Amino acid sequence: MSNESESESPNPLDPFGTMNTLWEANLKNWKSMRNTSLDSWSKTMIDTVNSDEYSLTTGQWLDTYLTLSQPFRRIIDLMMTQVLTGLNIPMRSDVTSLAERLTNIETRLDDQDAKLDDILNAIKAVSISKPTTPKPITNNSAKAKGAR
Amino acid sequence: MSASSSPLNSASLQDELKRIEENTRTLLRVSTSRAKVGQTPKQVIWTFNKAKLYHYIPVVPAEKRHKIPLFLVFALMNKPYILDLRPGNSFIEYMVKQGYDVYLLDWGAPGIEDKDLKFDDYVLDYIPRAIRKLKAVSGSDEFTMLGWCIGAILSTIYAALRPNDGLKNLILLTAPLDFTDKKSGGFVRWVNDEAFDPDKIVSAFGNVPGEMIDYGAKALKPVENYIGSYLTLWDNLDNPRIVESWHAMNTWVTDLIPMAGATYAQLIKELYRENRLIQGTMVIRGERVDLSRIHANLLDVIALADHISPPCQSESIMTKVSSEDQLLLKVKGGHIGMMAGSGAMKFTWPHIDSWLAGRSE
Repeated sequence: MSNESESESPNPLDPFGTMNTLWEANLKNWKSMRNTSLDSWSKTMIDTVNSDEYSLTTGQWLDTYLTLSQPFRRIIDLMMTQVLTGLNIPMRSDVTSLAERLTNIETRLDDQDAKLDDILNAIKAVSISKPTTPKPITNNSAKAKGAR
Repeated sequence: MSASSSPLNSASLQDELKRIEENTRTLLRVSTSRAKVGQTPKQVIWTFNKAKLYHYIPVVPAEKRHKIPLFLVFALMNKPYILDLRPGNSFIEYMVKQGYDVYLLDWGAPGIEDKDLKFDDYVLDYIPRAIRKLKAVSGSDEFTMLGWCIGAILSTIYAALRPNDGLKNLILLTAPLDFTDKKSGGFVRWVNDEAFDPDKIVSAFGNVPGEMIDYGAKALKPVENYIGSYLTLWDNLDNPRIVESWHAMNTWVTDLIPMAGATYAQLIKELYRENRLIQGTMVIRGERVDLSRIHANLLDVIALADHISPPCQSESIMTKVSSEDQLLLKVKGGHIGMMAGSGAMKFTWPHIDSWLAGRSE
């Protein structure tokens, strides 16, 4: 893009061309200025957030928010509990306890799975350590197969 | 732009208008939709509560594959698909192509019923169970564990508590382990302030909302995260490569998950404030976490421009472990860019591969 505009001189009788050239030059300058100011702004902001004053301010702000919102949260919890109980709908605590029970079941299942894997591995180890000797085919077994 | 190429310039004006229209459409698309992420073929081989263990389908013939499987443990906040962001820019895809048998532990999003989960549970319940399954599926008694960020804390604690469980290689990426320097970075400063009360946050929210953690991470570099990122997109709207990369990264950045309340409180109090892990005073379910019990081969990768886990938080582990084979790798880039940025596939991934290949036979 830039090569093209450098190699071709703008037509002075072309208002669009002149406008575009000016626009591009201004845009380039503006971008350069923007990046420079952003860099310095960024450095200032990084210094600010890494200061003890910022830590203190945000910590205090968060603490105030949590302290002030606590009574409201309690009221909402109480109201929700009453409403849901009245409507005979399970509450969050019911769902949570159900989820906890499911997790316990899952833990048991995973334990069983581990034990099953251990048993299978033990069986495999035994079968590898004691290779079964092929039994000679006897007349009786041949008869039995034929009978079947 | 191309104005001087046309005699009347009406065509170029039309082109310009078309370009603006296309750019606006692109901007709308990437800011309102989710990119396709985590596309490397995989299967779920184990689930436990919200956690899942993925096994990535190998593409290299069995005889050419590395014998020791690679087990990836990501942080508890954010989704782990940053390791498999998009085809051509995926660490997992890269490692699968290099012949590794790759497994990824996805912690999932904790529900309110999980608010009491602690490091103890993740390290002594989730990880050992996932490893048992990994061993059963891979058929290998040994494995490599790669932990990133808080995943690296979990991996380190596990390696110290269960050093004889088959852990052959331990790879730590941007691991926040040592908080001796209370002035190193914004996080340490903020959470060490007296007014900051993690118990109050946990009591108010149960689990710490993803938005709150995200704000903390973004506030460390506010101009870059809230303005610079969007300006980069705006300046490159007609560059599909940059746009698609931005889209995938933005999808990941905005895909937030909460953190279990008890884990958060433990992280702030026992690690960030009391620095128990590196001092050897951390106790997990009655067992002291003694880093000198770690004897697995250790690769510690730190990002030089990491503002979330500054290098000083990751370096000292090298002197605390008993590993004879250890390497500290310093990489250019930030906390995420080091592994998911454009330079990752040229530097970080090949270095991890070259270190690990000889230790995976």
